[in-house]
Amino acid sequence: MQLTHLNTRGEANMVDVGDKRETRREAVASGRIMMQPETLKLLSDGKLPKGDVIATARIAGIQAAKRTHELIPLCHALALSKVSVEFDIDHAGGCVNVSALCRLNGRTGVEMEALTAVSVACLTLYDMCKAVDKEMRIEAVQLESKQGGMRGDYQREPAPAMPIVTGEGSSGEVTLGERCTSPCVRVKFLAELRERVGVSDTVLDLEKVPSRDIAGLKAALSQQDRRFGVLSDQRTLCAINQVMANDTARITDEDEVAFFPPVTGG
Amino acid sequence: MNIRVSIQSDAFSLADGYEQTLAQRTDIGALVCFTGLVRDFNETPEVTGLTLEHYPGMTERTLEDIGAQAWQRWALQAVYIVHRVGYLAPGDPIVRVLVASAHRREAFEACDFIMDFLKTQAPFWKKEHSRKGEYWVKERATDLEDAARWA
Repeated sequence: MQLTHLNTRGEANMVDVGDKRETRREAVASGRIMMQPETLKLLSDGKLPKGDVIATARIAGIQAAKRTHELIPLCHALALSKVSVEFDIDHAGGCVNVSALCRLNGRTGVEMEALTAVSVACLTLYDMCKAVDKEMRIEAVQLESKQGGMRGDYQREPAPAMPIVTGEGSSGEVTLGERCTSPCVRVKFLAELRERVGVSDTVLDLEKVPSRDIAGLKAALSQQDRRFGVLSDQRTLCAINQVMANDTARITDEDEVAFFPPVTGG
Repeated sequence: MNIRVSIQSDAFSLADGYEQTLAQRTDIGALVCFTGLVRDFNETPEVTGLTLEHYPGMTERTLEDIGAQAWQRWALQAVYIVHRVGYLAPGDPIVRVLVASAHRREAFEACDFIMDFLKTQAPFWKKEHSRKGEYWVKERATDLEDAARWA
């Protein structure tokens, strides 16, 4: 594979795209900025000193996409037909996920524009929040997909979810601890939550639960694996024996407890 | 209470529920039917399909309970709720709520009520497939506001 931005002498070279056919090009990039839970709360409550953080970062990302050619030396100036920048505040993961989509009908790809939009949106989030949090970290800025152009389409493979080992299994083996001789509860994780924790069912010994209610169950699970921290997210719902329940609801032997995200049927 | 609930992966026809509800009855004066369909645009502009997951057992129980609540509030003669699960393509019917009553106002209101509660309480989750990849559909604040109207 030849690097198109280098000529035969290995010097930087702007590619002549005059002979390329115009096609519809689209690219999606993503990234995230990790921050303290308190910062994230201030951000989602709109209580940061610099004002509306998300709206500002969105405009910054869109502006950046349009000016990519001024920042990246060998990029062409493009008349983008569409730029959108989206933010997803992830309280459980302690981060804001940023994604950007760029589109145009043209002769060159728009992945640099999408990546620039994500990068600058993340930097703007940093700038807007740095008064209260210096520990923030921008990470995983990457191309998710691109369509159109000579080299064809690209789609990033999703990272394989690591299963949580909940029993006392040997290494490399997943046990779900079906054996249940002492009082226990069966716990299910549904839909998006199942994908996030990487497990659909588990059985928990009631002896290991600090208090025999949902709050105790959440605490016991969180102690087992950090990923179960998502159970304490305000959005996470819970049912005991298929009836909605809250943190103070009692759990008893052989109960079926399910955790799931807000419902979206209909 | 004449309440029927069906969770199914099979498609239902646009006529589904009418004949069964009306068979041998002459006391029904109003029949209101809502059908929800899969759109090809939602959180992204190019939705190619969606997969519906549910919580077997709790789903049926929740829908029966919503039907029973409607039965308490209005004078109804029949309630029929169908919801599909599994993979659906744009244009596919996904949900049907059919309500029979002696008078139209009660049938309209009960149907509206059942849909508002179905959307905010029944354990279904949609994963949309689009050209940008697949993602879980986010809940909407407006759905909760709609359901709060009945409090």
